[in-house]
Amino acid sequence: MLSKFDYYKPASLEDATKYLNENPETKILAGGTDLLIGLKNKKVRCKHILDIKGIPELNKFTYSEGRGYFIGAAVTINQISEEKLLREKYPAISQGADALGSYQVRNRATMVGNICTASPGADMAAPLLVYDAKVHIASSQGIKAVDLCDFFTGVKKTILNPKELVVGVSIPDVEKGDRSVYLRKSRIKGADLCNVAIALRINPENKLSIALGAVSTIPMRLFELEKETAGKDLTPELVDWLATQIKTYINPRRDSIRSSPEYRYLITGVLAKRGLLKLIDKEGA
Amino acid sequence: MDKREYKYIGKSPDRSEGLEKVTGRAVYVHDMELPGMLYAKALHSPFARAKIISIDTSAARALPGVKAVLTGEDAPYLVGLYMIDKRIIAKDIVRYQGEVVAAVAATDERIAEEAVSLIKVEYEILPSVQTIDEALEAKILVHEDINDLEYMKGVFFPQKDSNIASWNKTVRGDVEKAFEESYLVVENEMYLPAAAHTPLETHAAIAQADPYSDKLKIWSSAQSPFAVRQLMAKSFGIAEADIQVIIPYVGGGFGGKAGIHLEPLAALLSRACKGRPVKYAATREEEFNQLPTRAAMRGRIKTGVTKDGKIIALKVYYDWDSGAYADYGVNVGRTAIYSGAGAYEIPNVEIHSRTLYTNKVFSTAYRGFGHLETHWVIERQMDIVAQKLGMDPYEFRMKNILGPGKTTVSGEVITESTGSPSDCLKAVAEEINWTGYQREEEREIQKKRGKVRGKGLALLHKAPAMPAFTSTASIMQIDGDGKVKVMIGAIDIGQGANTVIRQMAAEVLDIPLENIEVVWESDTQKNPYDWQTVASKLTFMGGNAVIKAAEDMIRQMKEVAAQVFRCDASKLTHGDGYIYHVHHPHKRLSYGSLARGYSYENGNAIGGVIIGRGTYIADGLTNLDKDTGQGLPALVWTYGAHGVDLEVDLETGDVHILKVASAFDVGRVINKKLTEGQIMGGVLQGIGSALSEGLKFNAEGKLLNPTFTDYKIPTAKDMPDEIVPILIENPQADGPFGARGVGEHPMISIPSAIGNALYDALGINFYKLPLNPENIALEIAGTQAP
Repeated sequence: MLSKFDYYKPASLEDATKYLNENPETKILAGGTDLLIGLKNKKVRCKHILDIKGIPELNKFTYSEGRGYFIGAAVTINQISEEKLLREKYPAISQGADALGSYQVRNRATMVGNICTASPGADMAAPLLVYDAKVHIASSQGIKAVDLCDFFTGVKKTILNPKELVVGVSIPDVEKGDRSVYLRKSRIKGADLCNVAIALRINPENKLSIALGAVSTIPMRLFELEKETAGKDLTPELVDWLATQIKTYINPRRDSIRSSPEYRYLITGVLAKRGLLKLIDKEGA
Repeated sequence: MDKREYKYIGKSPDRSEGLEKVTGRAVYVHDMELPGMLYAKALHSPFARAKIISIDTSAARALPGVKAVLTGEDAPYLVGLYMIDKRIIAKDIVRYQGEVVAAVAATDERIAEEAVSLIKVEYEILPSVQTIDEALEAKILVHEDINDLEYMKGVFFPQKDSNIASWNKTVRGDVEKAFEESYLVVENEMYLPAAAHTPLETHAAIAQADPYSDKLKIWSSAQSPFAVRQLMAKSFGIAEADIQVIIPYVGGGFGGKAGIHLEPLAALLSRACKGRPVKYAATREEEFNQLPTRAAMRGRIKTGVTKDGKIIALKVYYDWDSGAYADYGVNVGRTAIYSGAGAYEIPNVEIHSRTLYTNKVFSTAYRGFGHLETHWVIERQMDIVAQKLGMDPYEFRMKNILGPGKTTVSGEVITESTGSPSDCLKAVAEEINWTGYQREEEREIQKKRGKVRGKGLALLHKAPAMPAFTSTASIMQIDGDGKVKVMIGAIDIGQGANTVIRQMAAEVLDIPLENIEVVWESDTQKNPYDWQTVASKLTFMGGNAVIKAAEDMIRQMKEVAAQVFRCDASKLTHGDGYIYHVHHPHKRLSYGSLARGYSYENGNAIGGVIIGRGTYIADGLTNLDKDTGQGLPALVWTYGAHGVDLEVDLETGDVHILKVASAFDVGRVINKKLTEGQIMGGVLQGIGSALSEGLKFNAEGKLLNPTFTDYKIPTAKDMPDEIVPILIENPQADGPFGARGVGEHPMISIPSAIGNALYDALGINFYKLPLNPENIALEIAGTQAP
């Protein structure tokens, strides 16, 4: 049975954090595409629901030269998909947005909601990770910024405490010539969760950034693997090396009904190879 | 049937109810609210097999707003179509995870849900039957009382002290001797998992009991109102006439709503609430867990051929993992013995079809009624045998294909009127430019590109699975303005029945389509009888009944007109809404002027209300012999074939379907647009079965994917680049305008055609469904391994 809850939609961040302080058993509602399903199938129980869509700061979706993007917690996935400049500068993020759920879900779902749910396969996570995104967290103490790579702590777990809420995500600006790609593998072509997701980015200094989704308990940035590629030329040999090497960094679930670990190992290598080849291709073009 | 130009037959008028549906005005049971209505929720067994030690409903009963709580003790009734084996609420034992163990009616859904959560059940978990082999071993019996169950005798054959709900067989010729004489014998085992119907509208029923009599009024999303009435009357021990079943719009059935499901439980709850109407609308999770599915099946097949590719022997064991109750499952199994050899002539045949009880959600009818399953086995085997013979699988099929003068495995001789499977196969082979399997060298060249193209063919046939006495009817009445209302007993569940019935009535009466309405909202109190809305039989049987009703109406009008014109009725003909004299066409009377009797100027009247009546009964059918399977089971065979052109990604295992060509010998196209729509929908549904669908259970029989998150049906994005429907018209002499049914057929053999195309692409034979990217990629990776 749906739990009984109070519903509160504040008009200011201050009211929101105050409400969280006063009501420990509160769930935050943005798009609701995860929360409502959780409530209906009784996996989520709560006494209070805090709807954050009315808070002005959380609807901010801005770009400024040198500082990059700020994407507020109430910005929907389709808003992100439709943002042309973002697609030019951060293709992997737009591609992640395009791949998430279905068009109807994307009308409601938010990027911040996607990372706060912290599903290992969250489509927005890997693209944001390769761009060194920061999560802006508000509480009655004020606002702090945390690196996204330190945000996830486990399957559907984050560093957030019940008195905090995410205001938005900031993504540092990129130089001209920065490129990226997001690839995922799902069971059907239409709306589906991904079995493996990868985001790859190369900056103008040829520094490679790599992040993976759905192959471990959390979406992860592969800093160590990146270090090993530092200074190396982007050759077909490197592509093959990476496609093999990347498999040692993953830890897919053994008992998932969505995919066997064997397939996830296989596909992680395939997507790493394809992603990198795509980036190398673009360099030539 | 002559080849004259028809006015309405073969054209593409819009679906009659299309506007109502797309504008959201069509009312479904889910939408209905009645004064004083209560809401039902059920408690389901979490275990596949367990003893119910105790049930405590006191807390649920005490909850304000709860009007009734029922357990198995309150429902001492058994229901069943062919085996009377299922309780409305489980008692003493549960046989599958998802089975109803208690039900609540309350003033709103929230209270009902809360009440359900307050019911405490103590179970003793028992070991269960989960696999086909466990079912055959019979160490555990799903139904310990199998020897005492009531069943339809002479048609189904439950085996003593076993889990075999029915063992049907065909034995023709001497199969063992033929294997000895064969040049080549090929044996294989194939498998496909259980699949869900996933109609857009889940099952829903509202029941209202008369507190002062046995009478029950039911509104249901059922496909077959008269079957619901009959089965419920038998189960409750009341008269059929006491039960009224009303069917408003239905949001898809695909066979899942063909039998009786939520109606009896809603009725018992209404009785327990002194006649307040009770609505039971299934959630999507209940649709997967509680309501029936398509059975999983294992086929073990052995084929013997001569050197030049003539099949002389076939032996198959079809074993159906059919779940806890027989429902339609035994009849699905029965189809395998007369159509499970495919559309081929084979002189020596032995087919065994065993419908098995297991501790899983039970199975029922599903579009194709066993044929998608048996054709997965047969049509894959045809390709594999052709490979071993070094023959083109097209040639191999053509060499053995049924046609006029040839005999089916149940002993029926095919005629010109039966239709032509070879026309279908030829058409699709041409459409996909079939030139035989590619050579290994060609495959290797393609493999370097990372993607390989492949083509595949598969044949199919299906006849309605129905009792030999199946009948249907139509009545029609004409208004004073010449407009006609038609009533049939079958339900338009989206297949377009009412539209084609309207076209056929318009053609016979020769009046515009706008002047005909097939009355919506079927009601057993008003509509004429129909057996069931199943078996792709409506166009054929309902169409014949409507033609007879229209002809009956014309005959009656002619009789009155003959008096007016003082001539013999044989001198009269009809057209454009008039009865007129063949030689003096100016002597004419409009249908409207005869509708309620003809009035002379002085007020004298003759004739009376014109009501047309038409019935149609399946004629000539027989039960099949218990030991040999010989007899006449098929009212009409519809033949078809698919050609698939696809591309496989060698690394990811993704299948991209470029083209599906689908040909059916429909005899005569009644509505071109609807027929092509049926084909496209069926092909996509077949692609679901082929590439992504399948229920997954854990070792304890818990369903692991009871939602659309993990039960993946194809979406618009999964459509092939192109579907080419090909309609072949070799008319059937006793079909309405020569037509045959084709509703189910498009999804049959889609998996086998895809499997065959994958062989062409990869040189790998697949034996199990689904052919999802994972299964394909791992198979490719496995064959590449050193």
